[in-house]
Amino acid sequence: MKQTKVFLNESEMPRQWYNIVADLPTPMSPPLHPGTGQPVGPDDLAPVFPMNLIEQEVSTERWIDIPEPVLDKLCLWRPSPLYRARNFEKLLDAPVKIYYKNEGVSPPGSHKPNTAVAQAYYNKVFGIKRLSTETGAGQWGSALSMACQMFGLECRVFMVKISYEQKPYRRLMMMTWGADCIPSPSNLTQAGRKILDEYPDSPGSLGMAISEAIEDAVGDKDARYSLGSVLNHVLLHQTIIGLEAQKQLEKIGDYPDIVMGCAGGGSNFAGLCLPFVRDKIHGKQISIVAVEPTSCPTMTRGPFAYDFGDTAMTTPLLPMHTLGHGFVPAPIHAGGLRYHGMAPILSHLLKEQIIEARALDQIETFTAGINWARTEGFIPAPETNHAIAAVVQEAQKAKEEGKEKTILFNWSGHGLVDLAAYDAFLSGKLKTYDLPEEELQKALKSIEGFPKP
Amino acid sequence: MPEHMEIRCPKLGGQVTFAYCLKEAGELPCSRIINCWQSYFPVEKYIRKRLTPAEWKRCFNQTPKEKILTLIELIEAAKNKPVK
Repeated sequence: MKQTKVFLNESEMPRQWYNIVADLPTPMSPPLHPGTGQPVGPDDLAPVFPMNLIEQEVSTERWIDIPEPVLDKLCLWRPSPLYRARNFEKLLDAPVKIYYKNEGVSPPGSHKPNTAVAQAYYNKVFGIKRLSTETGAGQWGSALSMACQMFGLECRVFMVKISYEQKPYRRLMMMTWGADCIPSPSNLTQAGRKILDEYPDSPGSLGMAISEAIEDAVGDKDARYSLGSVLNHVLLHQTIIGLEAQKQLEKIGDYPDIVMGCAGGGSNFAGLCLPFVRDKIHGKQISIVAVEPTSCPTMTRGPFAYDFGDTAMTTPLLPMHTLGHGFVPAPIHAGGLRYHGMAPILSHLLKEQIIEARALDQIETFTAGINWARTEGFIPAPETNHAIAAVVQEAQKAKEEGKEKTILFNWSGHGLVDLAAYDAFLSGKLKTYDLPEEELQKALKSIEGFPKP
Repeated sequence: MPEHMEIRCPKLGGQVTFAYCLKEAGELPCSRIINCWQSYFPVEKYIRKRLTPAEWKRCFNQTPKEKILTLIELIEAAKNKPVK
């Protein structure tokens, strides 16, 4: 029998997180306070984060100790296994070895608790009694709910109303772990009440839920806010994934040519990749690829090209169909790595051309996810499918070039609570709509004279 | 009408209709609407017909802010509200 999994003992679990900021070839520019124009300082963030986490947010120390109580909780599912996807390799029939870190083994089924547990701990020791946060589909909300319960904190999650109604299982997970899960917009905050006054049937948005969670935390001296992605300290906590992977690969005497992960806010990608970015900065030949979880175009009506090659990143342009008629393409903030939701560390690494980015179409990603489930068994989260689809692309490329490659990617979570998305795909609802011109014209005509909002 | 068409929203992580994307930001569409829907139909043309030039600019021509600056703005706004 060939080896499929590589385990670490709990005693081999990393005892420190890795902070990439210490090794960046060029420093990151500090964000400037919109009011004062001065660099954002710890006091600016103190209303929403405890000072011990703010210290991590601005730290330039290379290694930061993981507190023992955090390790005690993480070891409920960590170290996570490193798998070799031999069945998927067979399906692809390409000269590649595919390894993946299975982060779906955590209780909520994703990588998110790696930082949720740490954040709950630091808030607890700082004397905080309650955490407030927002969640879209509930992956982050459920992770924080569990973590708060572990450290005896109350947890309030503002869940975007449309997801609250669509995703009862995530909501029930949060409630099972003792959290107060509230559909946003809500009557609990002024921000929520304002929206409800204007739009009583508002389905909510992530932006609105964030506003509510921040207002909720700022208005209560015993509460703080918690964010599951983007920020430096969040990425720091996730590096345990890549640090474990390095030890596991070392055990079997292998090292990747390509490291990949899907990148929404960036935490799962960063968690796996940042320790390998360090290797790359120190001379290793390795490609590190972020794959965007966005349903962007792949050619139903002609060539589209995402230009991730420029270094300015000031006015990112998405080349688009212009439909003729001298139509001028609009400047669109194209994709996660360029929109405000992406981690600044990753944007910086992209600008420095240390990492690459790629965007994939949702049909391609679900197809890859289905093939994965039918060969490797585990059903991936829809976001994880983006990484799998990119692995497929790399395997095909290796086959065309006749080169052997070793690929490592982050299997960031299972899709057992997202089966509705698979249902949408399998029942054809996610098909590429080929809207006939006459139907489009009919649609456009129907909004002529449309009252401007 | 395309309003009934569904897509997986990369921000929420769930299925949404085009109608949701059109009003995700209250009176304005989601700023990613063209990015997400361009492959399905000429969404830009559709949106330009719906929005005034000023609304278009507000929705699509804003310089993206870093998350931390968004948080700072929300903190400042929340500070001006009554404490529980």
